[in-house]
Amino acid sequence: MNRPARQGSRLPYALLTSLALILILLQVSGCRREQSVPAPTETTASSVPQDGGTLVRRLEADINTLNMALIGTGPEREVMSLLHDPLIEVNERLELIPGIAERWEISEDKRSYIFYLNPLATFSDGTPVRASDVVYTIRTIADPATESAQLSSYFVGLDPLRTRAIDEFTVEVGFDRARASQLAAFNIGILPEHFYSKGDFGEDFNDTVLGSGPYVLTKRDPGQQIILERRKDYWRTTPHIQRVIFRIIPDDAVAWNAAKRGDIDETKMTSDQWQLERNRPEVTSTIDIRRFYSLDYNFIAWNNRRPLLADPRVRTALSMCLDRAAIINNVYFGTARIITGPFTPDQNAYDPDIPPIEFRPEDAARILASLGWRDTDRDGVLDKDGKPLAIEVLLSAGNKTSNLQAQIFQDALAKIGVRLDLVRVDGATMISRALEGDYDATFLAWGLDLDPDPYSYFHSSQFPPNGMNIVYYSNPEADRLMEQAREELDPAARIALYHQLHGVLAADQPYTWTVQPSIKWAVNKRIQGLRESNGLGLFLWYPGQYEWWIPETMRKHDAPAPEGSPQ
Amino acid sequence: MAAWLGRRLAYALLTFFGITVAVFFLIRAVPGDPVTYHLMQSGRGLSAPPEVIEQIRRTHRLDRPVTVQYAYWLADLARLDLGRSFVDRRPVRDRILEKLPNTLLLNGAALLLALMLALPAGIFGAARPGHWFDRASGVIFLLLYSLPAFWVALLLMDLLSVRLGWFPLLGATSGNYSDLSGFEKLGDRLWHMVLPVATLAYGQFAFFARFTRSSMREVMGAEYLTAARARGVGERRLILSHALRNALIPMVTVLGVSVPVLLSGSVIVETLFAWDGLGRMYYMAVLARDYPVVMGMTVLTALATLAAYLITDALYPVVDPRVRVGGERS
Repeated sequence: MNRPARQGSRLPYALLTSLALILILLQVSGCRREQSVPAPTETTASSVPQDGGTLVRRLEADINTLNMALIGTGPEREVMSLLHDPLIEVNERLELIPGIAERWEISEDKRSYIFYLNPLATFSDGTPVRASDVVYTIRTIADPATESAQLSSYFVGLDPLRTRAIDEFTVEVGFDRARASQLAAFNIGILPEHFYSKGDFGEDFNDTVLGSGPYVLTKRDPGQQIILERRKDYWRTTPHIQRVIFRIIPDDAVAWNAAKRGDIDETKMTSDQWQLERNRPEVTSTIDIRRFYSLDYNFIAWNNRRPLLADPRVRTALSMCLDRAAIINNVYFGTARIITGPFTPDQNAYDPDIPPIEFRPEDAARILASLGWRDTDRDGVLDKDGKPLAIEVLLSAGNKTSNLQAQIFQDALAKIGVRLDLVRVDGATMISRALEGDYDATFLAWGLDLDPDPYSYFHSSQFPPNGMNIVYYSNPEADRLMEQAREELDPAARIALYHQLHGVLAADQPYTWTVQPSIKWAVNKRIQGLRESNGLGLFLWYPGQYEWWIPETMRKHDAPAPEGSPQ
Repeated sequence: MAAWLGRRLAYALLTFFGITVAVFFLIRAVPGDPVTYHLMQSGRGLSAPPEVIEQIRRTHRLDRPVTVQYAYWLADLARLDLGRSFVDRRPVRDRILEKLPNTLLLNGAALLLALMLALPAGIFGAARPGHWFDRASGVIFLLLYSLPAFWVALLLMDLLSVRLGWFPLLGATSGNYSDLSGFEKLGDRLWHMVLPVATLAYGQFAFFARFTRSSMREVMGAEYLTAARARGVGERRLILSHALRNALIPMVTVLGVSVPVLLSGSVIVETLFAWDGLGRMYYMAVLARDYPVVMGMTVLTALATLAAYLITDALYPVVDPRVRVGGERS
């Protein structure tokens, strides 16, 4: 009976010992692994960009398709932007600059656009990018049968008859109406007709791609990684980095660990990670943390159709109870800014002279009292005609920051007798209830287009399902300003109209604009040539990532290049 | 036996259809719309023109009554076609088959490891009740069983990967996997499995160890063991063959329940370790209301569960001669 007892005890002993070992190691917090790559200093890094090397980027999710016309998610846009050059590029100041089109003209009636393609532009199979490819791409995107959910909205009103190739490298795109926002829509890649017209467009091109961009796809391991290699015969200034690996890492905490280990070269950081880690020596020695603003903003949507919330004075009073300073300091650790209207301060449509609504709960209480709200039944909640001033707020259960903001708001409102009921639901439920108008209020964020036109969010013709006016806001003056602005092609006049609109919306408060959080991005210090854009960040503008380079002394992740690949 | 099997198969088939009907109608009754959710994912609002949205609904037959949708789904199922995902348009069958090996490998290894450690630990504890090991393990098993997996995973990652650099942080293979030789490939895979398998296994280990111990203790008090001991049977033989065999009977049921878990995967471990498996796919499909994928996974897990129960029941007579299938008198 001795032997089995000993056998039985050996494993648990080992287990206990290793458990004890783990506990001991956890105490030794000073024990940290040194980075395998030396931290770059001013002396090791030369200032002349060197070609070559592998950049490892993080993707938050796998891509669902490689078909540019069918993409919808952020990761898909990131990967596609390296595989397809756009007809028109955008630079770090959000200005439209030549891409495949070296210049363009807009017709007298502002309804047709003529693009002159750069004859040097080629797809990665060597064929030139022709006017016929542009016509094919735009017609395909605009055709409802393509189901191009994201891109089709940019080509509403396309006139297929006036969309034609004038000659091999000149193309006309016509519309049945004039739109100031139209030009920015041509910031899209071009699909080669000879490749995409063979086969079922919806089903056959999700795993394969042919584009005109500086990189080509060499490998895709579903759920793991996507590997791109630099083209040998790229038609314009070649980017420095030879290979780009996108590693798919869904979890933020794990991605940050991977960045600290040097497994990946860049990742977005959460505000919590930024606050906790940014000053640690082992972080600052290897990681460069950048901060910038992107084209999005957070807001509280008020359902203007609810009798309680129909009066702009009530909405303004509620906005006065949002302590933005507390939100900026406690939720975003000082890394967010107040916004007052439907644009971001990096867009020239934003009027910086419009004052923010101050945190003044006493004034809010006075406004509500003047509108007849009194606590007649002494239950701590204001009421009028027997109805309490109680508002239900829909929150996305997983969204930590909007939950925190809602709690701060709830506390402030409770003090003046307004009850905020927080209801947490999952993302899909929240979206359908918002689109059906089945809510009082909800915390949302919009990602904005390059063009500032807010027509779809605030024009009275845009109630769902026609558009995204999910708050059912309707004001004839705002309608007129938006209608004028979207047809005004003179930039200065258009900006003036949007400044007026900004004032009208700030007074009406269809939303309570909360704050715009800044984006924090970690990039390994071996990467040189970094520049960020306020609005677009590190990627998705030209030249952006194409300026990045890695000194030869700091190369890693470099697998032997496949046969015949450019060096 | 044949009659018993036939009856059980008929019940299983009925149950299977019951499950598919329930899930098919329930997932559609949950608020949230697959088309608008997918379109809103970009955060740019639902700017798609209404005719494009209608077209997408038509393609996925979402414009038809739910009963008609179910009839179409059943007809497709009869041809072993699980439909196409709303999200990436790929056949659901391909998506499942692509991720199935990853999930089986991870969960199979974890279950095996947990059992291999739990049986000896449980038996030893039961053989020496009150021994310091038994008392300590009682506390440790309870502790392990209650530790949340996401916390343990992040702790293991921070310690063994970020600080000590012993194991890779995530993924199933290294980036240069395809350049490795056969032997190196095996090593690379095992090296990547250590942390996720450990995360999955510790809770199961604690559960099985406690289960083995209590089941053993129950049997150890039986009169037939006292009789055997009186006959002079050695303590080792008494425990390993007389007691263990009976103690393992309830284990068959528990293992039967574990089989479907092998297929359904683990959301937390797969998400944290960027392990491309079925658990995360299923979870994301539910969030995105990707009905065909949800139904595909329902079919897979329902079939696995029903098969496991059937096999478990058929195995009872083998481990316990007192049980007869088919209800004949013993």
